[in-house]
Amino acid sequence: MAAVTHQAQAIEVGGSRAVEAASDHELLAAIRDGDEVAFQEIVRRYRNPITNFVYRMLDDYDRSVELAQETFIRVYTSASRYQANYSFSTYIYRIATNLAISELRRRKRRKTVSLFSPFTNDDGEAIEIDPPDLNLLQDETLIQDERRRAVARAITSLPQKYRAAIVLRDVEGLSYDQIAETLRLSEGTVKSRINRARNLLKEKLSAYI
Amino acid sequence: MSCKYIQKRIDEADKPDLLPFDVSEHIGVCVDCQRFATERTALRALVAAGSRVTAPMNFDAVLKARLAEVKTRRSFWWLGSPALLRLGAATAGVVVAVFVVQFTGLFSNNVETPERSPLSEAAPRPVPAPFVNPPANPAPPPVTIAGARDHANTKPSRLRRSGIPVESAMPASFMTAEDGGVVLLRGRNGDMDVQMPTVSVGAQPLLYVTAGQRTTRTVGTSF
Repeated sequence: MAAVTHQAQAIEVGGSRAVEAASDHELLAAIRDGDEVAFQEIVRRYRNPITNFVYRMLDDYDRSVELAQETFIRVYTSASRYQANYSFSTYIYRIATNLAISELRRRKRRKTVSLFSPFTNDDGEAIEIDPPDLNLLQDETLIQDERRRAVARAITSLPQKYRAAIVLRDVEGLSYDQIAETLRLSEGTVKSRINRARNLLKEKLSAYI
Repeated sequence: MSCKYIQKRIDEADKPDLLPFDVSEHIGVCVDCQRFATERTALRALVAAGSRVTAPMNFDAVLKARLAEVKTRRSFWWLGSPALLRLGAATAGVVVAVFVVQFTGLFSNNVETPERSPLSEAAPRPVPAPFVNPPANPAPPPVTIAGARDHANTKPSRLRRSGIPVESAMPASFMTAEDGGVVLLRGRNGDMDVQMPTVSVGAQPLLYVTAGQRTTRTVGTSF
């Protein structure tokens, strides 16, 4: 820990170039010492991945931006408690995942009914109604847009426990052990959930595969 | 190797198009596993190909504002701390309880403690003033009026009574009631000093003393 603190002091001395070259752990040590530049660098590195991850979880851009900002606020306020046992990306994805899951639970309590999923299965999860449009599309842009919407709807219709795992794996590209650390699950459970999620997605997106 | 095991390894591969040699070898001879691998590759490409959103331009500015707000809130965290709230509630409760107890009379002087004024402490122990009880009132109160002489026109029936006999002697050094002195009343609950009301020259006060209260009032004059 002392070595990391010395590195944080070196970052301050070195200026912005040193900040860009510093590792995440070094930046966190500098943030702990009140270095605003180090925090800006962390935000610059992770704002897009975190926003995209939360967006894929919620399919709501404005709320995703708010939760991404909340993620960084928590990183800043809890920097003194950060322990460099895991990679920082695992740490920040865990915060974002927890925020996204809390938001999904809040929405579930509100019992909003989607026009695309007005019915639920035995587990209480929404059943996606997404009949493929058999008409020919005129424009490749429209095709891409329709495909993107279908994928987004399919992901958001997944059960919550599968959704985080599949997004972290296939969208964000995290490894199994990173996902296991992020979700605090065993690696076997993560693999099982991802396999189950892919099987569900295959059923929902059969028209696009 | 079974197809189930091969499909599990296909599913767990880091990149769907880069499979281990033994898995690729099996796929070459197994149609089901080949179809599974093709579907998985297409599915993963479809999910990953979705357009990635980026943070808005004002992301940093809004974050900075929110962070400043959080810092301000954290600097006053102690105002909302549970311990401080409990202490404040306890203090308010004690204050309210003191007011309630005072107004309900628990601290009133219904039970007199034997206290004396400096005047009564300085003066010699007064001998009860001569007071003649009427035969019809057998229990006169233990009232000693210091500074008052025995006047014929006083109305002893309006004073509190007890069964203690009254002494007749009175020291000559006692002040008179007309001088605005202090009357020492000796009652069941102890002694009590009563400031005499001012009276006009030539008039004699008739006192109405309620036991337990430190007030007197003039009910009339002797003439």
